[in-house]
Amino acid sequence: MLRPVVLFSLMTAVALGACAKKKPVVVTPDNTTPVVSPTDTAQARRDREAAERARTDSIASARAAEEAAERERIMAGLRNTLEQVIYFEYDDDKLRDDAAEALGQKVQFLRANPGIRIRITGHTDERGSVEYNLALGMRRAQVVKDYLVGFSIDESRLEIVSMGEDQPQDVGHDDAAWAKNRRAGFTITSGNALTAPGQ
Amino acid sequence: MRRFPSHVMPALVMLALAGSAAAVSAQDQPSAIALRGGYNAAERAAVAVRPFAGAGASADVLDSMATIVRRDLAYSDRFEMVTTPSTLATGAVNYPAWNALRAWYLVTGDAVATANGYELTLTVHDVVYSKVKTSARYRIPAMNATTTAAFRMALHALADEVVRTISNQPGHAATRIAFNRQNKAGSANATGSFDLLIVDSDGFGLRRLSGATGQIYSPAWSPDGKKLAYMQGSAAGQRIVEQDIQTGATRVISSAPMSTTAAYSPDGSRIAFSAWHEQGRESNAELYEYDAVRNCCAKRLTSARLEDQSPTYSPDGSRIAFMSSRLGLPHIYVMPAAGGAGTLLTPYVVGQKGYYFGPDWSPTSDEIVFAGHWNSRGTYQIMIADARRAQGQIRQLTTAGDNEDPSWAPDGRHIVFSSGVGDQQLSLYVIDAVTETRRKLVDGGKLRMSDWSPPLARASDYVVR
Repeated sequence: MLRPVVLFSLMTAVALGACAKKKPVVVTPDNTTPVVSPTDTAQARRDREAAERARTDSIASARAAEEAAERERIMAGLRNTLEQVIYFEYDDDKLRDDAAEALGQKVQFLRANPGIRIRITGHTDERGSVEYNLALGMRRAQVVKDYLVGFSIDESRLEIVSMGEDQPQDVGHDDAAWAKNRRAGFTITSGNALTAPGQ
Repeated sequence: MRRFPSHVMPALVMLALAGSAAAVSAQDQPSAIALRGGYNAAERAAVAVRPFAGAGASADVLDSMATIVRRDLAYSDRFEMVTTPSTLATGAVNYPAWNALRAWYLVTGDAVATANGYELTLTVHDVVYSKVKTSARYRIPAMNATTTAAFRMALHALADEVVRTISNQPGHAATRIAFNRQNKAGSANATGSFDLLIVDSDGFGLRRLSGATGQIYSPAWSPDGKKLAYMQGSAAGQRIVEQDIQTGATRVISSAPMSTTAAYSPDGSRIAFSAWHEQGRESNAELYEYDAVRNCCAKRLTSARLEDQSPTYSPDGSRIAFMSSRLGLPHIYVMPAAGGAGTLLTPYVVGQKGYYFGPDWSPTSDEIVFAGHWNSRGTYQIMIADARRAQGQIRQLTTAGDNEDPSWAPDGRHIVFSSGVGDQQLSLYVIDAVTETRRKLVDGGKLRMSDWSPPLARASDYVVR
């Protein structure tokens, strides 16, 4: 049960580690002591310097691309963790065990990225009054928010909203579809920490 | 006023016998449910509308005028409609011949073309007493593409006047119904699209007032019939806006989180609505009241646990019926309009998952209509409760399919509601709560949350003085 949390912590550590380094990328050329020969004309020196610059630039850009890809990968993982929906039982706002576990990961994410604000959106299945379903969705979003606030996440970072029955994940009309539609979703509304691990 | 011309008596006796047979079978129903009202059809006056005559008005126009009035009288469900035989279609009114046809009243029309429409003399004849009961001249707009709505509305107003003349009761023809339509189903990340539509009481003149990519819920007519308040939703949440029907201009009534289910007080001075009241674990949907005179100052009316929604005012504005899930599932309650403890109106039976929602208070009585089911096996049906009788007898008007979002017409007897099999194909229907006659108003899918307007025109608006 703890496994995903541990994995997530490692990912966060990687992201934070990359963040803490913050060293400028320095590329050292192989020939640190260039031999100045009498035949070395000004033109030849300019050519050699240009070639070195080009080589330095290409190494730097390759590394930057590598780091960007790595950041992208971590970001996608983080985003997935955050945006993973949680599910509810019929006409119920209690958090299931699997939902509490998923919320635990989100708590760690929100702690590691204090600049992030999120919107929690509550959803219901199609059964029952359309307007009452709006309230039921709001109650689910509120329960999720209260849970996160209980873990010391500042409530000003958590916006709640309900879409009632109007955004089904599954448009079917059976138990399987309804189970997928009773959920809370998560969206990042502001904050840029995610976009800049490692910089 | 009871009138029993001699030719009606045999029918009355037969109906009385049929009535006692119905009373016996009604005893088999569970005590809380009554499927039939005790309506005596013999009291319905028999009315004929003769083809209208006229100089300068085309046959089409005359036919439209008479057809609109005739259909409105039929839709009032207060009369037995008598067909006009060709021998009585024109000329001086032959009272003995109409009396032989068992018509109690006859409506005749005579139209003259004018510069910008028609002047119509509408006469109600009292056949039984062989005399003119009322007669008046009215200015009717022309019938062309741009004025058809006004032309029809004028004739609806005249039909309501005929209903009042004969029955001394209000009609419901000069009205419209507002409702929403979900055009496109939502997906995981999109709400789909909703339209706000209005339609005339006879199903003509369907038009779109507003459309959005987000939610449009629960339109409510202002008492002057000029504005609609409704919920507008986006990914960021829901608010209540008020739209001027003529100009299209909108203003925000409430942007509190999850603002929904607005209702005007009968004098238009207040707008009650539901919004999310956030206070940690005690958060819930509560009822609020907006001051529509000072345009400010929403004040909270309820403080119960769980959700309160769908307020609806009593005709004198002193009480509010609403939906609350304070017992765990939605039920209908009544409270003073200024707020306070609610009285449970719908039957609460432990172990039976009764579920009742969407109340609408009759504009003429203490009857409250709503949708619901007695237990979790049932589909939603339209029901009526008496606001003065907490957990008293409830009358069920529909018996099959899914039926939701009822709203009273200003005559206090017709109800518009959504009905379909499953909730994927909901059309709008009108049912007469007295005779239980029903008709389809608008065909289509996902038509919901209808609200019936107040009277939008009166015969006095058109009368030539």
